[in-house]
Amino acid sequence: MKRTRRRSYSVFIFALLFIIGMFVFIFRWFSDGRSWANMPYNGHYAATGIADGGTITDCYGELLAYSSDGERVYNGREDVRKATLHMVGDTSTNISTSIQSIYRSSISGYNILFGASSFGKLLSNTNMQLTIDSAACATAYNALSGRNGAVVVYNYKTGELLCSVSTPTYDPASPPEISSDDTSYDGVYLDKTLSGLYPPGSTFKIVTLCAALENIPDVEDMTFYCNGSTDIDGHKVTCMDSHGELTLKEAFSHSCNIAFAELSCKLGKETLEKYADSLGITTSYKVNGNPTAKGNFDLDKAIKAEVAWAGIGQYTDEVCPMNMAILSAGVARGGSTIIPHTVKNTSLIDLSAVMSSKSLIKPSTAAKIKDMMRSTVSDYYGDWSFPSLTVCAKTGTAETGNNDEAHGWITGFTLDDDCPLAFACVVENGGLGFYSAGNVVSQTLETIAENMRNGN
Amino acid sequence: MDSIIEFITDYGVFALRVAAALLTVLTVVKCFYSMRIQKRGKKPLISLHNTITDETVPVYYWENSLGRSRGSDIYIADSTVSRDHAVLLRRNEGWFISDTGSKAGVFVNNKRCQGRTQIFLNDVITLGATQFEVKKGESSHQSVSEKDTAPHKKAMRPFVLLLLMLFSLLMFFTQAAFASDGFMPEAFVVYGAFSAVVISVFAFTRGFLKRASFELETLGLLFSGMGVSLLIRQNLRQAYVQLICVVLGVILFLVIIRLLEYPDKLLKMRMYAMGAAVVLLAINLVFGTVRSGAQNWIQIGSITVQPSELVKVIFIFVSAATLDVLQTNRNLTEFIVFSAICIGALFIMSDFGTALIFFATFLIISIIRSGDYKTVILALVAAFFGAMIILCFKPYIAQRFAAWGNVWQNYDDAAYQQARVLTYSASGGLFGVGVGNGFLKYIFASESDLVFGLLCEESGLIVAVTVALSLAALVFYTREITTLSRSSFYSISACCAAGLLIIQASLNVFGATDILPLTGVTLPFISLGGSSMISCWGLLAFIKAADERTYKKLSRKHIVQVAES
Ligand SMILES: [Zn+2]
Repeated sequence: MKRTRRRSYSVFIFALLFIIGMFVFIFRWFSDGRSWANMPYNGHYAATGIADGGTITDCYGELLAYSSDGERVYNGREDVRKATLHMVGDTSTNISTSIQSIYRSSISGYNILFGASSFGKLLSNTNMQLTIDSAACATAYNALSGRNGAVVVYNYKTGELLCSVSTPTYDPASPPEISSDDTSYDGVYLDKTLSGLYPPGSTFKIVTLCAALENIPDVEDMTFYCNGSTDIDGHKVTCMDSHGELTLKEAFSHSCNIAFAELSCKLGKETLEKYADSLGITTSYKVNGNPTAKGNFDLDKAIKAEVAWAGIGQYTDEVCPMNMAILSAGVARGGSTIIPHTVKNTSLIDLSAVMSSKSLIKPSTAAKIKDMMRSTVSDYYGDWSFPSLTVCAKTGTAETGNNDEAHGWITGFTLDDDCPLAFACVVENGGLGFYSAGNVVSQTLETIAENMRNGN
Repeated sequence: MDSIIEFITDYGVFALRVAAALLTVLTVVKCFYSMRIQKRGKKPLISLHNTITDETVPVYYWENSLGRSRGSDIYIADSTVSRDHAVLLRRNEGWFISDTGSKAGVFVNNKRCQGRTQIFLNDVITLGATQFEVKKGESSHQSVSEKDTAPHKKAMRPFVLLLLMLFSLLMFFTQAAFASDGFMPEAFVVYGAFSAVVISVFAFTRGFLKRASFELETLGLLFSGMGVSLLIRQNLRQAYVQLICVVLGVILFLVIIRLLEYPDKLLKMRMYAMGAAVVLLAINLVFGTVRSGAQNWIQIGSITVQPSELVKVIFIFVSAATLDVLQTNRNLTEFIVFSAICIGALFIMSDFGTALIFFATFLIISIIRSGDYKTVILALVAAFFGAMIILCFKPYIAQRFAAWGNVWQNYDDAAYQQARVLTYSASGGLFGVGVGNGFLKYIFASESDLVFGLLCEESGLIVAVTVALSLAALVFYTREITTLSRSSFYSISACCAAGLLIIQASLNVFGATDILPLTGVTLPFISLGGSSMISCWGLLAFIKAADERTYKKLSRKHIVQVAES
């Protein structure tokens, strides 16, 4: 009998494994239960949707979405509804990165202890306040005036995302039936600030400049000569203008392709790739749990002229607008950037994701880039375009490869202490960056600044 | 006003769920606590006086191996004694000694004994150069202390367990009656019918059989009742069918316990049992119908049965033997061949989940019976190559496992079921959304393969985990009582039955929750499935039989009297 008992440990092992497995399940249940419950097919929420969910407000308390009599009601202004669609989401889960998709269960009253039961609803706080300024979003949306694109503005001191607009969009109060052959709604369910990838054009010169400052000795004393085009191994690289003789600072603020083509060739493939990676162009950041699109910067097969084009943001380069804004915030903060977040009352959300900073650039380099981005606005475009703010920026006009107008880009930041804003904006087929994207950003920043300074 | 009523019903219904969870925990804890404290203390039954060394060796168990090997229950340091010399057994008729193939033989009062020989007090047993005189366990004050402690503590408990269980179940059935899509009085009818079954079982075992304990029955009935309550809102007819199967299961449970009372006679039935199992599987292979990929059903009129479930009970039955039989016949070949036939047949039926259960149980049985690691390692190697060969010939089987660990990438195709289980188990919270209010019940196989998720969603994590952990606790309990059983036949079959149940529970629970690949087996007692329900009760019978108190209580006095006569 003693032998039987001793050998019965074989059963004991199975029971022990079972208990270990049970603890694995319980652990996962507590740590991941909220995201399990949050699936779009969850019948507890799919049946009524979020029709009796909590309210969503912007940073000034403006109602963006709330429930009334079992129906989801959105903001009273149509432009606000359309501008905040990708941030707030609609009643379906079509826009999977939106607040109403990713926090669907929380808004509907999910509570880890009481699950989806109606009792849990009584005890849960289902209201959410976002960091966005809905009026500024509407300004950005109106400034885009029907063109497609993406606008990101955030406070680079706190990380609060103030404006995030993606077009095309639609009115969540009356979602359209979209037929698959209707091209005017292409990408409407994507938040382009997070998922869009565009050739960066000259905004990429920030990366090339950073690499040059750190890798080419005395680069700041170099002079460049531009007569509108140059020949690299039999391939032509062209400039928008015939700039003549330029210093590095002038080459950057005038966005001279010839000078930056020369720098790119000097730096070479590996260095450029290294800087594209370290400055976050090819990184996927997590903004509110949503991954940003990884950019593209791959010079493996590039010939020398293509390396030159890549260094000025063409070739196969692609960047996500959010990553560009995060890079600008890094320059503004003296090298270490901050990842934006969108939810204000963190009681609903786990705290770890809220604040995260990341070092991108050496402080001394960042200061030099900041100086050059500043002179781009002050010496080249003129401060009159940003009446109440001191802005550092870099524009871009990215050729799309076909006969359409180029995409207009701008990225940068303000130097104002009371309005520390980092931004990035793309206007698809908008033409010259400063006149398309620059204009959208200028109006948006002024609205944000006015609201911030007045406390509403 | 409406909102106030809503508020009160919300709280009321919620209170029911909390009560259900707490009562379930309480019932289960009471059951295991009761099983623990009623365990017999370690007191010698008789003792052997070594006349040469003048030592007295206490005899603790119903079956004791005597020999020179260190693992023997009674170790004899004598080089003329074989390693496994003999077995000393207690039966209702008294004490016996059986020579298990020793070299020097066993002599009782100087007469060489053949087979089992009854012995009496003061008999002299000779094993090689060692001589034992049979003596009483210990002096008489022992029996006095037993009288002091035992009776009044035991008297109330089974009744308390019965009430606790019925009250717990009332909470589940009331929830089902008041689920969100309207009041359903039939839930109380089902509860009434189930209670009638429970009370009859209680009256029969306590009143007629005079059985001292009711813990295992309480656990089995509690879980079966929970399973029935989950079905009410899903398919009322199936709830009644399940109820009938519980009755059949309990009948099988009682019959098996009755049959197991005399293991010595039963051992001769092993060949017939194996034959019956093989015939069952053969019938299944020839006439079986395919359901969700596995050909493991037989349809007889409107009734469908799963023969493989009944084979589980036979499998456990043939695994065990009394200690003297085990020691004389160590050969596992017969059992290995039988296991191979069973597992092979299940593979042909594509019932891989059950095949895996049989294989894992086979490993347990091999170790417990023989301690033969070579066989186990060989079996594992064979299984590994077998699995490889099967994957080569039937690559689509591998696809079943493709979704494992990648639920969220495949939640609308390959991992459809697992994703629903996780989502809805999290939606249940600690106390569930209420029986009948879940959404998992609309998913295919939710009441069988995915029932753990259903339990989590509707009754909450606390109940689901309690059910799961009590199946594990059953293993610890059977291990606790291995040396107290009336024969190693009972302790081996009980351990193997508990092992089979926990392996099956592992595949069910972890398959549904993506910790293991989904194999599609039932959760013991809870899942819908008549054959499965009946076989679970059949397996529980082996555990019950291992409890010393199950069979007619023979007082120590009686044993001593028999020995003295
Ligand atoms: Zn130029």
